Amino acid sequence: MSMAFRKSCRFCDSEQRVDYKDSQVLDRFVSDRGKILPRRATGLCAKHQRHMGTAIKRSRYLALLPYIRGYHD
Amino acid sequence: MREYEIVYIFRSNFTPEEIEAKLDRFHAILTRDEQGEITAVEQWGKRQLAYPIRGQTNGYYVVAQFTADPTVIAELERGLKLDEDLLRYLIVLSEGELPIPSSMHDEDDEGRGGKRRDDEDEDEDEDEDEEKEE
Repeated sequence: MSMAFRKSCRFCDSEQRVDYKDSQVLDRFVSDRGKILPRRATGLCAKHQRHMGTAIKRSRYLALLPYIRGYHD
Repeated sequence: MREYEIVYIFRSNFTPEEIEAKLDRFHAILTRDEQGEITAVEQWGKRQLAYPIRGQTNGYYVVAQFTADPTVIAELERGLKLDEDLLRYLIVLSEGELPIPSSMHDEDDEGRGGKRRDDEDEDEDEDEDEEKEE
């Protein structure tokens, strides 16, 4: 019962920040095509999913993450 | 005064000294009026770009944090845009954390199987990665 109300976002749990510079972490939140994964796949809370989206977009701009993966190769 | 963070991507054919000289020139704009202050500079060094920028496949990354008046940012950007060797830059409001160089490790992650894992093993993942590279 109480499990249903558990706040289970990994960033909330760890107090780790979503950092646009940390491409190794961000990489786990994009698909194999480089698309941002939806909330149902990441399990993030609203706040951190939002931060994640922003971080991934910044990271792409800085060429730390690709905009698209597996298309040209 | 606000706290900012800036990421520079220079062409990769520069020595750290040459980069340093460029940074000094940019940062002089910020500190000129005795108000702004550079609080941290972290050179990530050469790193492969996720996609080519102006024909370059590698870039020299530098992250810096500073405080400055918002009006000075426009001035800084004007200077940055003139530098042909600066492939790209990003100025954002600083979120306080020190620039972590963790992602400067070259990512040779061809076989990307499971990107998303369950909650607990985040730290362990990172340990693994480091071990592999050593």
